[in-house]
Amino acid sequence: MTQLVVVGNGMVGSRFVEEVAARDPEQRFDITVLGAEPYRPYNRVLLSEVVAGKVDLLGLELPHDDERARVHRGQEVVAIDRRRRRVRTETASIPYDVLVLATGAAARVPEVPGLDGDLPAGVHPLRTLDDAREIVAATANASRAVVVGGGVLGLEVACGLAGRGLAVTLVHGGTGLMDRQLASGAGQVVEASLAGLGVDCWTAARTLGVQARQGRVVSVAVQGCPPGGRGTDAPAAADLPADLVVLATGTVPAGSVAAAAGLATARGIRVGADLATTDPAVYAIGDCAEPPEGASGLIAQGWEQARRLAIDLTRSRTDEPAGRGRPSLAVRVGSVMAAREMRGPADAAPAVSGTDVVTLKARGLDVVAMGVCGGRAGPGERVLRLDDPAAGRHVEVVVAQGQLVGATCVGAPDLAADLVATYTRRTPIPSDPSMLFLRPVQPSPAVATGPEQMPARATVCSCNSVSKGEIVDCVHAGARTVADVARGTRATTGCGSCTATVCGLLDWLGVNDKENADVTVG
Amino acid sequence: MSAPAVASHCPYCALQCGMAISAAPGRALEVEPRAFPTNRGGMCQKGWTSPAVLTAPDRLTTPLLRGATGALEEVTWDVALDHVAGTLQRLQVEHGRDAVAVFGGGGLTNEKAYMLGKFARAVLRTSRIDYNGRFCMSSAAAAANASLGLDRGLPFPLTDLGGADAVVLLGSNLAETMPPAVQHLAGVRERGGLVVVDPRRSATAALTGELTPGVDGGGRGSDGVHLQPVPGTDLAVLLGLTHIVLMEGLADADYLATRTTGVSDLRRSVVAWWPERVAAVTGVPVNALRRTARLLAAAAPAHGGRGAYVLTGRGVEQSVQGTATVTAAINLALVLGLVGRVGSGYGAITGQGNGQGGREHGQKSDQLPGYRSVTDPAARRHVAGVWGIDPDDLPGPGVPAVQLLRELGTAGGPRALLVHGSNLLISAPDATAVEERLRSLDLLVVCDVVPSETARIADVVLPVTQWAEEEGTMTSLEGRVIRRRKAVEPPDGARSELWVLAQLAARLGSQVRLDTDPAAVFAELARASAGGRADYSGLSHDRLDADEAVAGPGYFWPVPAPAHPGTPRMFLEEFPTPDGRARLIAVEHVGPDEVVRPDAPIHLVTGRVLQHYQSGAQTRRVEELSSVVAEPYVEMHPMLGFRLGVLDGALVRLTSARGWVEATARWTDRIRPDTVFMPFHFPGVGSVNRVTNDATDPVSGMPEFKVCAVDVVPAGQEAVA
Repeated sequence: MTQLVVVGNGMVGSRFVEEVAARDPEQRFDITVLGAEPYRPYNRVLLSEVVAGKVDLLGLELPHDDERARVHRGQEVVAIDRRRRRVRTETASIPYDVLVLATGAAARVPEVPGLDGDLPAGVHPLRTLDDAREIVAATANASRAVVVGGGVLGLEVACGLAGRGLAVTLVHGGTGLMDRQLASGAGQVVEASLAGLGVDCWTAARTLGVQARQGRVVSVAVQGCPPGGRGTDAPAAADLPADLVVLATGTVPAGSVAAAAGLATARGIRVGADLATTDPAVYAIGDCAEPPEGASGLIAQGWEQARRLAIDLTRSRTDEPAGRGRPSLAVRVGSVMAAREMRGPADAAPAVSGTDVVTLKARGLDVVAMGVCGGRAGPGERVLRLDDPAAGRHVEVVVAQGQLVGATCVGAPDLAADLVATYTRRTPIPSDPSMLFLRPVQPSPAVATGPEQMPARATVCSCNSVSKGEIVDCVHAGARTVADVARGTRATTGCGSCTATVCGLLDWLGVNDKENADVTVG
Repeated sequence: MSAPAVASHCPYCALQCGMAISAAPGRALEVEPRAFPTNRGGMCQKGWTSPAVLTAPDRLTTPLLRGATGALEEVTWDVALDHVAGTLQRLQVEHGRDAVAVFGGGGLTNEKAYMLGKFARAVLRTSRIDYNGRFCMSSAAAAANASLGLDRGLPFPLTDLGGADAVVLLGSNLAETMPPAVQHLAGVRERGGLVVVDPRRSATAALTGELTPGVDGGGRGSDGVHLQPVPGTDLAVLLGLTHIVLMEGLADADYLATRTTGVSDLRRSVVAWWPERVAAVTGVPVNALRRTARLLAAAAPAHGGRGAYVLTGRGVEQSVQGTATVTAAINLALVLGLVGRVGSGYGAITGQGNGQGGREHGQKSDQLPGYRSVTDPAARRHVAGVWGIDPDDLPGPGVPAVQLLRELGTAGGPRALLVHGSNLLISAPDATAVEERLRSLDLLVVCDVVPSETARIADVVLPVTQWAEEEGTMTSLEGRVIRRRKAVEPPDGARSELWVLAQLAARLGSQVRLDTDPAAVFAELARASAGGRADYSGLSHDRLDADEAVAGPGYFWPVPAPAHPGTPRMFLEEFPTPDGRARLIAVEHVGPDEVVRPDAPIHLVTGRVLQHYQSGAQTRRVEELSSVVAEPYVEMHPMLGFRLGVLDGALVRLTSARGWVEATARWTDRIRPDTVFMPFHFPGVGSVNRVTNDATDPVSGMPEFKVCAVDVVPAGQEAVA
């Protein structure tokens, strides 16, 4: 039996174990899981929803297979002995044949005065269940919050805290909000929408320091473009009073143990297309890994890696070659996007595009970005833009070779849902891509015309295929009531929905004898 | 009207509209709708024109036998039956009992369905029996049995829908398939609570009302909500709705605690399906998901609502994850505390006329009468006792329809097939392959009323009687057992299938008694069902007639004793599971078997039109119906049409991994631009099941009719590459 040790019991580590277990009914793998956190695996993606008060902290637990795998929680791996193939925790040494690192990433704390050493009370990153718990507890007594970092998480937290009634100021180092995904036009619309939600934004802003009194945060000193200011103005400075500060300034892949063991690391643990590190017995997936195409920090990428690695590890020699599998398996990771990768040649590095749809989770602010976005369109890519700031809307689509290769949607959630489906499945787009700005499946309401405008061929009773003309003929032949028309044409005798229309026709023809009406279907 | 009208029911769908049949001497048969709870005096064009099927110009009245010339030739019943019996006997001697297979249908009366199962298992003693209900109700049945302990399509009267605040229809187009049923949605539409989940703006989806112009409404109309998921992603929609209900604290906690098991596992499984992820997978906006979940919760009794229903149809069930999808629908109904409460519930909308009864009396590969398992020793003893045979002589479970069809004529597979009430050439997936299998048989026998496409390639065609020519019972979509009555004499030469089976049994030298009188058959069926899940033992033709004569309430199974009033609403006290609780079963979205790809970038979905029924064998022969919809068509969005160079009205070819089909393009803005739609009622190059996928659900054996990936090009350009 192969000793498979998984370091990390988060969203990707636990999913990987599930994927392996599902493909290993013969139990060829003996699975051990080491998780640093004391909790069962939970949905980290929803932590901002916890902060927003929309989701209960206790409701985040994910499926886990404690029967199939030996799971040690609260056990941090301190060293990997690659020569003897063992991992060490404070208390144990565990042998492996295959080691999978899914240690995730830690919150990055900016290097500014006041945040060196232990964080002051009231200052929290948001990465773990404990972080979320502490932020929620802090909101009970806090009235003014500063959120540092204007990326996806920062925006979600800012909106969530504003929704809880706190006065929120967002401090972002870049010139535009969510600038990893959004070009400046879109960012401006987002900024205006945030102002409407009660969130003030400092952009192009440096956090100069965090002041604390008696170990508790009181203010954040910033310098940059103030709320409502323009980027061209001279930088302003302010000391923002705050009794709650949330740091949403990115993450640092948890790769120090791997690096200490001599595995190649850059930003994260370097892996190839096969997800193997520089040691073929050691793999890395999720946020701790740095694959050739780069890490997106999105769960879809980590889950896709978990699935792919599980398929590769559990495949016996007689199975299909690598990278081939039923496309439907790809959908199991929840992202049809992954399906695309199944089609490449077996030895080609899997493309990441498709697992890169970013959706902001915030009430009152809809932002979805995918593929080529943020003004990074290349040669040969057509960019079409609908800029509608007065309505809080900004949509951009990027088209190349007859396909949608990227899109940005601010304030257009329904259109975004359509575009995501088109983008992830690579379905054909209209000849003129400007049509992508319209929701295609929004049938126009029935034209509100009276019976007189209705063409004679128009179907009145669809259950019995009766046209207006036939009803008119029936009336000319003597029908005076709905029941007469029903007897003569069968109109109204199916579902009865057209009874009002038939009444209208009788009125129009000036013959409706309501006194003697005995409607057969009501 | 001189002669008294005969009270019976429409020959088509499971709504079984009450109709009065008048057969005045010397005049053509006439039908009129009558007051009956499901149709309330309504009837669609199919029902109104149903007498025309009785007098179809090519009605079969003489047995046909494929002669030396290769053509079907008229023969006497004796010649035909002798040939069939002789061949069956020879094949079974040479190749074993399973060399003969039987394929039934969900349109057969309870009596015929029962007798067909008995004939297969007790006379032929073959395990190879299944039926077209496998293409219809098998996913819903498998899921309901697992979750609720029992499968009765609607475990409540249809009329109960009228009082609800919310009704969710998943993959059901009942405005087209059973129009009079729309009456029962009037109340919920008035209250703005109709939710339709369908990739198309179908006639039913349009019932959700006019969309508010200029508002980012996520499909909200004046009378409800229309969710338009990417084909094959309905399951993810359900997981998302369940996620919202659980995460927003909208679940019925008391109900979950006292009437269900498994909520912890379910909760964990849906935590991974947050709305934004669901939106990315399904194309359904987050707002629309949240609004729908809240609408349902507000309608639930736990929140003081009048009640809510979750209903599924073939659109979500005919999928490789059909069983999982229905399970998820049931889970949603359970977390909202709907099932087993008056005025709320989960139900599957049965399609075929006797799709409900057809799955209870032993046509299914794994079932004996009374909805019993063929592997349950007690069930085998009971049924064998009623049939007067040794339980050990009963064959074991066979294989589900798609597998059965794939095995036909192969080494070790069946050499002969008897087909009753089914037109496989049109209605089975990957129809070209099915035709090949049927043609490879030593003997194909088809019992039908008209020369259906399947009958035309048979070796023996036996002309049989149909609805208004015979007595019997049907079980409607609500589990109500109703009487089908004879109003007219069958044409000379046509015989009841009960007679055909008895004749064959006699020629095969079987000692097993096969009655031919429908009332006697029903009495035996009732005994065979006694103690089973679908217990009819308290019913008889006489009791049904007596109740109807006094305009009684009718009988919903189970009716376990002659004094038992029947069971209109199920699960009110407990569920028929070992612990009396419903089971929440965690399921995962996997997606369709085929995903769109560069050489097949468009989804194909299939469905029905109002004017036609199933394979169209009946309705295509009715002038009034075929003049409205004469031929197949391909619905596509103008945006797609422009892109592909397929104009409205042009001939278009769809190609899948299995084959191609051609039909006229019809532009409409009621379909997603990544999807085309075709109705499946037609033969020839326009028969859409030539391209549909025969991949099946691992639990139910249901094939994936409803979504596959196709390439779409103007016809005549397919060779240009």
